[in-house]
Amino acid sequence: MAESVKVLPKDIQQLIDVHEWDMRTREGVQRFRELKARSLPSVALDGDLVYEALIPMQEELIAEIRRRHREKNAKE
Amino acid sequence: MAQQERKRFIYRTRGVCPPEIHFSIEGSCLHAVRFVGGGCPGNAELVCRLIRGRPVRDILPLLDGIECRDGTSCPRQLSEALTRAMDGGLAPADSFRLACDEAPRSAVALIGELGGDIAALERIIAAAGRRGVQALYCLGNLTDGRSSCRELVRTIHRHGIFAVLGERDWRCACQAGNGAQPSMPPRDRDRLAQMPQVLRFTIGDRCGVAFFGAYLQQLPGYSDFEPFALEMNMVCGLTDFMRDENVLPALAAMTPQFEADVIVFSQSRQWIHRQVGGRHFIGTGPALDGGRTAWGLLRAAGDKIDFSVENAD
Repeated sequence: MAESVKVLPKDIQQLIDVHEWDMRTREGVQRFRELKARSLPSVALDGDLVYEALIPMQEELIAEIRRRHREKNAKE
Repeated sequence: MAQQERKRFIYRTRGVCPPEIHFSIEGSCLHAVRFVGGGCPGNAELVCRLIRGRPVRDILPLLDGIECRDGTSCPRQLSEALTRAMDGGLAPADSFRLACDEAPRSAVALIGELGGDIAALERIIAAAGRRGVQALYCLGNLTDGRSSCRELVRTIHRHGIFAVLGERDWRCACQAGNGAQPSMPPRDRDRLAQMPQVLRFTIGDRCGVAFFGAYLQQLPGYSDFEPFALEMNMVCGLTDFMRDENVLPALAAMTPQFEADVIVFSQSRQWIHRQVGGRHFIGTGPALDGGRTAWGLLRAAGDKIDFSVENAD
């Protein structure tokens, strides 16, 4: 999953911090449960579970990141 | 100051009464030590209290030149154990003890929480015998945590039963040397301390693993990458002992990495059988279940695994 994030354009990568959890570990399982996820792989943005059991197309992921970034900036 | 890593060791003695010495070293200091399974528990406990917390290099001279029998002694064995631990000749112990039932089985009995009830165990042994089982697996809690477990352990050994410790059993086994007032006699605690916590077995041509539950994840030195840790993390942490159906798709995605095909646990005290990702997950209920004596019959027929809950009354 992190691989698909690594290939995001640099301007997008500057907007985000990426964390990957290993589901084999207790820490990974705990985070999975905190997010109330059900399937693998799962992707959360700003703590919201956005994609489950799929890796989104890059365009879709970029659009969602930009949308959230805009919303945050508008609030600030 | 950074905390020093604590390593736990189990040293198998030669020529002395206790068959094992359990100890842990933090940095260069002896954190805890316990002579397990024989000898004079009172003297051994005193020695353990006097030397724990001290640097190993200060302890070693105290242990020199003491003979008991056959040219060795408990202090000499401890000296050898500490020396080997410090120079890397003795590997740290895994966080849990893993036992193996080496013989492939086609029918085994699964026994959940016994709570020290020998009569219930005897009824299950008889019922299992009538059903032609080849091995019995007890998954803890074996004891009631208060009374002597001597007769229970004897019964388990006499019938060649494979038993793993439940959380209550493990807490009883650990009471010695921590300053608490233990309720179980020292020799009983030693009996428990020498028992395994995880069992590997073969049913048909499938690999199985049996354990109690989540306390294993709290053991000092537990690693997410120990044998069968993935199965434990998934059962105890992810699925809440297979009771959370929402996460079963995630469990199915993880099962290709499993070592075991059949995973048996007992902490949830519920009879459960689920097949996910081609793996069988079996939860065992208590031996005394709603007024009846219950046990699980696990069978392999060809490449098929069957499980049923049986009545021993």
